[in-house]
Amino acid sequence: MILEVENLSVNYGHVAALSGISLTVDQGEIVTLIGSNGAGKTSTLMAISGLAEKAGGTVRFKGKDITDLQPHAIARLGICHVPEGRHIFPALSVKENLIAGTVREEKISRQEIVRRMDEVFRLFPRLKERINQGGGSLSGGEQQMLAIARGMMMNPDLMMLDEPSLGLAPIIVEEIFDLILKIKKAGKTILLIEQNAAMALQVADRGYVLVNGRITQQGRGVDLLHNDEVRRAYLGE
Amino acid sequence: MDYYLSQAINGICQGSIYALMAIGYSVVVGVVGLVTFTHGEVIMLGAFASFYTFQLVGNNLIIGVIASFLASAFIGVFVFKICYERFFNAPRHISLICTIGTSMLLRNLAQIIFGPNNKPLLEVVPNRFFGQGVVGLTLVQIIVIATVISLSFLLFLFFNRTRWGIMLRAVSQDKTAAAMMGINVRLTSLLGNSIGCGLGGVAGMLLAIYYQTLVATMGGSAGMKAFSSAVLGGLTNIPSAAAGGLCLGIVENLGITISSASFRDIFAFIFLLLVLIVKPEGFAKKTGVRP
Repeated sequence: MILEVENLSVNYGHVAALSGISLTVDQGEIVTLIGSNGAGKTSTLMAISGLAEKAGGTVRFKGKDITDLQPHAIARLGICHVPEGRHIFPALSVKENLIAGTVREEKISRQEIVRRMDEVFRLFPRLKERINQGGGSLSGGEQQMLAIARGMMMNPDLMMLDEPSLGLAPIIVEEIFDLILKIKKAGKTILLIEQNAAMALQVADRGYVLVNGRITQQGRGVDLLHNDEVRRAYLGE
Repeated sequence: MDYYLSQAINGICQGSIYALMAIGYSVVVGVVGLVTFTHGEVIMLGAFASFYTFQLVGNNLIIGVIASFLASAFIGVFVFKICYERFFNAPRHISLICTIGTSMLLRNLAQIIFGPNNKPLLEVVPNRFFGQGVVGLTLVQIIVIATVISLSFLLFLFFNRTRWGIMLRAVSQDKTAAAMMGINVRLTSLLGNSIGCGLGGVAGMLLAIYYQTLVATMGGSAGMKAFSSAVLGGLTNIPSAAAGGLCLGIVENLGITISSASFRDIFAFIFLLLVLIVKPEGFAKKTGVRP
């Protein structure tokens, strides 16, 4: 088990965003969290990566307790969080954004950076065309690609993707999901949050359904996809 | 005509000192993300650090630059610990008022420790003149401009060619995302703040050498000039801030040519007001943002 979350709670003021959820992610899996707006999906990721204060519970990564670590220390252990809203560095060029992804490894060699960049450009040829352009001047879809590419430059053990398809054209959404499968094939573990439940459950090995800060269902992706309750609630049937 | 030309040269020289102060200011504001009003005192302390260094080891400019940079960078750590570190998630005005208080504290401490009177700083640079008639450069002016240009160049290399530079710029643009990349935001901000303050300290030394005098209250107007120049440049854009400082210096000196030297600050601040009315965003063009 690469990630173990136990009884995690997050409060925003007096409002409980998460009330004691537990989930696990195994090495090499794609696990997805689905749920409607305000169910607590983003809060879960923010709490795991240390950006939201935890009211209770523990988080273990590769067996190490990371509950009380600072966000940068968690990132340095190999958890990459590609946040909702992209959060790329607008005034850094595409290349500099990608290099920013490698700073967690202090002793990385120049050749290794170039090698990873080539790998990323194989997946996102569009970014290569824009290598010297400012990050903020890219289109929404390109910014999303850059955010994922920057995450891959971190060479993480676990990638947490928050709504990677948000606000993108359908054709690009498909590209993004193809890419998620490619990243999995490269041996990475992925924790995926999606509004687009149908797509997410198709690529996922396992899924959790989040309702009002609680996990109500869990199971294999295909099973959830055919679960009546899930279909009614999230797939509009 | 010659007189105007020589005043323009004085303006460029003075403007380049303002530019260095403004560069430091922009680095601080950019990396920390909060406006500071302690920069004037940081500049003043840099000037005093060089003053005592010159008394101790003789008039060695390079040692003076290093001493004023280090002293002010150290003050930067102090300011960071007091005014910023605990207030990153607090409303912005809290740390702003904290910097105002720290500036008063430092200024009054300086008056107690260094004395309230002007101190002469004579003959650090031999009084030599290159040129003809009234048009020309003194050795001091050449040294000032050369120091500013070389420090700006070093800063440019550091920001654009090193991984630390990318980390500093990442922190200045998006602290959350920087933390997600594994960047220690607190430590990086501290480093950026110290670099900005150090540059301010060197500017203080140049001011003292240029005017051949220094006083514990010099920080007041110096800090305002640094702030104005940085505002002209859009607060966080380093090259534009430098351009703002240069313009401010030239406008001031041409202004006093047509009136009296006591109107120096009037021209500087009227110029600031005019620019802000005509172009509120300053000289800086927002880079990398889609319209």
